[in-house]
Amino acid sequence: MWNRGLELGAWGTLGQGRAVHLSRLRLRDFRNYGRLDADFAPGFHVLLGRNAQGKTNVLESIYLLATLRSFRGVGGAQMIRHGATGYFVGANVTGAGDHEIKAYWSPKERKLSLDGRPVRKLGEYLGTLRAVVFCTEDLQLVKGPARGRRRFLDLLLSQTETGYLATLLRYTKALRSRNALLKQSGPDELLLESFTGELVATGNLLIAARHQLLPRIAPLVSASYQRVAGGRDEVEVVYQPAVRGDFAVELSKARARERVMRTTLVGPHRDEVLLRLNGQSALAFGSEGQKRTYAIALKMAQAEHIGAVHGVMPVLLIDDVMGELDAGRRAGLIPLLQRAHRSGGQVFMTCTEENWPVELASELFRWTVEDGVLKRATG
Amino acid sequence: MASLPEPVAALASALGRLPGVGPRSAERIALHVVQAEPSLAQHLADTLLAARQRIRLCRQCGALTEPDPCPLCSDSTRANGVLCVVERALDVLSLEKSNTHRGRYHVLGGRLSPLNGVGPEDLRIDALEARIEPEAIREIILAVSSDVEGEATCTYLARRLAGKGVRVTRIAQGLPAGSGLEYADDLTLARALEGRREIL
Ligand SMILES: Nc1ncnc2c1ncn2[C@@H]1O[C@H](COP(=O)(O)OP(=O)(O)OP(=O)(O)O)[C@@H](O)[C@H]1O
Ligand SMILES: [Mg+2]
Ligand SMILES: [Zn+2]
Repeated sequence: MWNRGLELGAWGTLGQGRAVHLSRLRLRDFRNYGRLDADFAPGFHVLLGRNAQGKTNVLESIYLLATLRSFRGVGGAQMIRHGATGYFVGANVTGAGDHEIKAYWSPKERKLSLDGRPVRKLGEYLGTLRAVVFCTEDLQLVKGPARGRRRFLDLLLSQTETGYLATLLRYTKALRSRNALLKQSGPDELLLESFTGELVATGNLLIAARHQLLPRIAPLVSASYQRVAGGRDEVEVVYQPAVRGDFAVELSKARARERVMRTTLVGPHRDEVLLRLNGQSALAFGSEGQKRTYAIALKMAQAEHIGAVHGVMPVLLIDDVMGELDAGRRAGLIPLLQRAHRSGGQVFMTCTEENWPVELASELFRWTVEDGVLKRATG
Repeated sequence: MASLPEPVAALASALGRLPGVGPRSAERIALHVVQAEPSLAQHLADTLLAARQRIRLCRQCGALTEPDPCPLCSDSTRANGVLCVVERALDVLSLEKSNTHRGRYHVLGGRLSPLNGVGPEDLRIDALEARIEPEAIREIILAVSSDVEGEATCTYLARRLAGKGVRVTRIAQGLPAGSGLEYADDLTLARALEGRREIL
């Protein structure tokens, strides 16, 4: 059963022609980089260096180009090099055509341009470069609260379903408005009902989208997990919506409790995604290594699903993941990553000398990172 | 760098509080005014005061007007019985330009926004209800933006007006979500008004 996802996986079916890669990266006053200009071929790039030299910073800048956010969850100011006034991140993205991205950020001024034209609507920009990041914080997907798993679904659906993000924003606005009303003493019922209408209409769309997504990614998660762990564990990802029947009916049933709790008690903002391992909760019964593998499998599934929907694999950014897996699991992950780059995609992976994966053979580009300088390594 | 003389800085800071005027433009305008002919400043001050003193909200519909009630409310050639409800006084002008609504108007003065503390009592809803009987209103067309708060405002009005013997309709698609009438072009507005649908 769990081998099915492999055949359906995006990498097998993607031709070279549809690949997109980051062909040039330019940084100015970004983190510990005063200046960086580098050209990247498609393929597997390993950034090697001691701690605190700037390896993760490079991945952060690539993710920033793709999503306009830092995966470290910080605002723009932290990414400006100490003492500088603003940072610049520029890139060329090569696929069917060539696109040039320029982003400048300072507390006073933000500029984003695509092919020399200022970007007015984010919808027209997002998708120019797609990236999926694998980092140690991913473990929170398995160990952390449900919010992180909902965010995982939301991010994936925003990247693959047109209109999902807009609906999510409307739902969030309706929810916050409704919660504000519930905080008032003796809220106006008619007023509350008026916002409930929006909440139900948009909430039902979110629930439907999540219902459709889960059966599509579950086999991908399972297949990736098997690949990394070597197939003994049984992996099941199950959507557990907070609303089981009719959203509007369940909301009205919860009215009395809402009056006491003063907040909206049912809706997709309370959804959960169950991560099962051999029939039990991975959180409660999984070992650390199993949880790590699960987190990687979720991210792999994200990348494959994005690849399947758009016909183009996202760039994979792998930060510090190798060092945390045992030799067997590392040996399982490497071919997955190689599969990604052999189909014309691109992988960036950070490494220290100590956890250099010996399994990685010749087909890769080695870079060294030392105190904010990125250099092509010879040999 | 030496700073601006105090009166210029004060003028720039006053101008900077106006919508759409950033600190740099404010400074540029202020510097221009203090270096131009004194008559420019005089004229600016006179028109500013005159406009503020002569313009008020129409006591009937809430639109911006000099005579009260406004020309739209007192125009005997306009159709009675159909009210078009908008959020802001400016929206009346947008709809008038599109030239599709031949009835009367009613300005709410905003939309329901619990997150900004705007409730029904902050909008001109009582005034709207008070117009139904004396003006023999048959239909109320809601021309309110289609974002979350706009939609909720429409639902609220439709329920509150239910049972009062008026047909409540909503102008249909065509208004970009989240944007006010201000940004809709005339054709979009005209189409939207024709395609209105009943709510509830
Ligand atoms: N805004 C900034 N300005 C200047 N330097 C910064 C800024 N933010 C972070 N740094 C520096 O960047 C370095 C960390 O870079 P990065 O996180 O990329 O390290 P790394 O090579 O990934 O290390 P590790 O192997 O420990 O993960 C630190 O020396 C830190 O002081
Ligand atoms: Mg790092
Ligand atoms: Zn009037």
